[in-house]
Amino acid sequence: MEGQAMTYADENQHPPSGPAGSPWSRPEPQWYGYDAPGHDWYGQATWDEPAPQARPHQDDLTALRSAYRLLRRISTLTALGSFVVYVVLSCSAPGLMGAKIAGELSLGMALGVLQLVVTFAAVHWYGRSARRSVDPLARVIRERTAPAGGNAGAVR
Amino acid sequence: MNDFSSGTQASVLMLFTALVTLTLLMCVMAGPDRDDLTNFYTGYRSLTPLKNGLAIAGDYISAATVLSTTGIVALAGYDGYVLAVSTALSLVLLMFLLAEPLRNAGRFTMGDVLARTMPGRAVRVAACVVTLAATLPFLVVQLSGAGSLLTFILNLPHVAGARTVCIVIVGSLMIIYAALGGMRGTAFIQMIKIVLLLGTSAVVAVLVLNRFDWSPGELLRAAQHGSGAGPAFLQQGLQLGTSAAERLDFIGLQITVVLGVACLPHITMRLYSAQDVPAVRRSMSWAVGTVTTFCLLVIILGTGAAALVGSRYITAADPQGRTSVLMLSQVLGGAPGSAGTTILYSAVAGVVFITLLSSVAGMTLAAASSLAHDLFAHAVRRGLSKPRTEMTVAVWTSVGVGIVAIGLSVLVQNWNVGVLTTLAICIGASAVAPALTYSLFWRGFTRTGLLATLYGGAACAMLLMVFSRAVSGTPTAVFPNADFDLYPLQSAGLVSVPFGYLAGWLGSRLDHRRRAAVSRENRRLYEESEARLLAAAE
Repeated sequence: MEGQAMTYADENQHPPSGPAGSPWSRPEPQWYGYDAPGHDWYGQATWDEPAPQARPHQDDLTALRSAYRLLRRISTLTALGSFVVYVVLSCSAPGLMGAKIAGELSLGMALGVLQLVVTFAAVHWYGRSARRSVDPLARVIRERTAPAGGNAGAVR
Repeated sequence: MNDFSSGTQASVLMLFTALVTLTLLMCVMAGPDRDDLTNFYTGYRSLTPLKNGLAIAGDYISAATVLSTTGIVALAGYDGYVLAVSTALSLVLLMFLLAEPLRNAGRFTMGDVLARTMPGRAVRVAACVVTLAATLPFLVVQLSGAGSLLTFILNLPHVAGARTVCIVIVGSLMIIYAALGGMRGTAFIQMIKIVLLLGTSAVVAVLVLNRFDWSPGELLRAAQHGSGAGPAFLQQGLQLGTSAAERLDFIGLQITVVLGVACLPHITMRLYSAQDVPAVRRSMSWAVGTVTTFCLLVIILGTGAAALVGSRYITAADPQGRTSVLMLSQVLGGAPGSAGTTILYSAVAGVVFITLLSSVAGMTLAAASSLAHDLFAHAVRRGLSKPRTEMTVAVWTSVGVGIVAIGLSVLVQNWNVGVLTTLAICIGASAVAPALTYSLFWRGFTRTGLLATLYGGAACAMLLMVFSRAVSGTPTAVFPNADFDLYPLQSAGLVSVPFGYLAGWLGSRLDHRRRAAVSRENRRLYEESEARLLAAAE
């Protein structure tokens, strides 16, 4: 349908190494989005030909993809990272995490409960950021594909 | 242990009957028409975000979460707190990472998501096999637990016959819910269940805190005393031990829970029934809020059980502490036989019962849907079957899955099969999670990579679990007297999760080298469907 023949500049980067040996240092799966050698298998023919609106469409898609990727990375890494730090600290520094900070309440317990409480805020933040960064871009693409010939090129 | 008058038992039984009648009625009324596939699998995407969110939370908080996690908090303190946090976080991760593209890519089942860029029967079969491998153990562990739980609640004599009858009754109800209700019917049951569960847990938590004059310090002091562990109750290590290997095991288990639980097919299936991306986001917000609240309540309930019941009584009733919530409600109600005790105990027992029913029904539905949609409609009939036929097959596979689960549960009811929960979560984290993340975010993912991830991850998790210390070699293992614990940890995730990701990556590299044409075709399909994946544009 659309200008499927395009390859993106960011795809031709060097592939990363394999997944790390331990689950918590596992790189984000979307990093593999860069992976795989560049393909020019459609040849140049399709480059000359595509309709003028295919190009901005690809740009919109690229913008949406990066917006999503950024949002995903920040949110996922923060959530997973804080938890991994918490668990590793619990195991490797029981003295620190067992330190009493208020009455019988230890630091480890307080951090655990705090993570649960912060979750509400994190979910709220994610919803707001997604509404701001991702949804407008997605709407443009949807509007373009649904009625033929919509001229929504305003995003970039 | 359960010294209750027949009055309490009568009221519990009445409540059970009322709950079953009510939910069955709702299931039939909300259930799909005979040949309406979309309605059966997704309920027309007609639920509001709040309702869908509650249904996701209901599916997510299984009986295992309610009972086992509370038990682990009561018996192991800090380790249980970490487990509660990781359980909540897993759903958060699903929301942040997978929920939205998954909703856009999927139609009815996990197979639809995976086969979107790589059509073919092998992919469908693999998706179905992994769905079964992840849901059946979970199903069996809960059904076989239902036997001992119901005999405890109803104070039946602890003989095999009584437990078998309980398992068969719960199993039959579960089949009826799944087969008659479909996604929409079970969604309503999940909603009723999560509302009742949250309400009852909140009341019990308030009663616990009230007992200690709303002072967390007092509660924690009493819990340390009641657990018999002293200060160790508030430090990591009571659940699995404190040696280096055991601590590593603990870390591995928690990470596996975070990565795996929310990816299980019966949870992700609910995402496909959201209307659009903003709706799935709002649904997930509600679900995460609900689950997080519940996890906070679990922490209070478990600590309260340790403080007020004491670990000696808890382990006497069940070594894994799965009855601790029930025992807590007995203690909190006041004098045995009083109206307060009767009401509180009946309420908690009723909630546990409905939680058990709804979670096994949800899993049966997920397994049956995959069998009908992936295996029958797409692998056997190559997508040419009539909706009406597929619907009939879905109903009958629900019956089939249910009967198999009942049979297995009866067989293993005398074993300590808690390890099956770990197995399901490990398969979720090492086969389902890598397959979904690669398929959604990596355009270079190929068919060989997908099959390697699904089969390799699942096989690795299963193999390691069989030779783990949870199956043999320790007193709490499934076979305490046997000794084939070649893998020195309790959970497989530490090895199998990286293995699953690595297998997918290596398999795809292999395709890039050996079958460049095929991998290019996969890549083209990915790029073609990217607008749909990211923006829901058709």
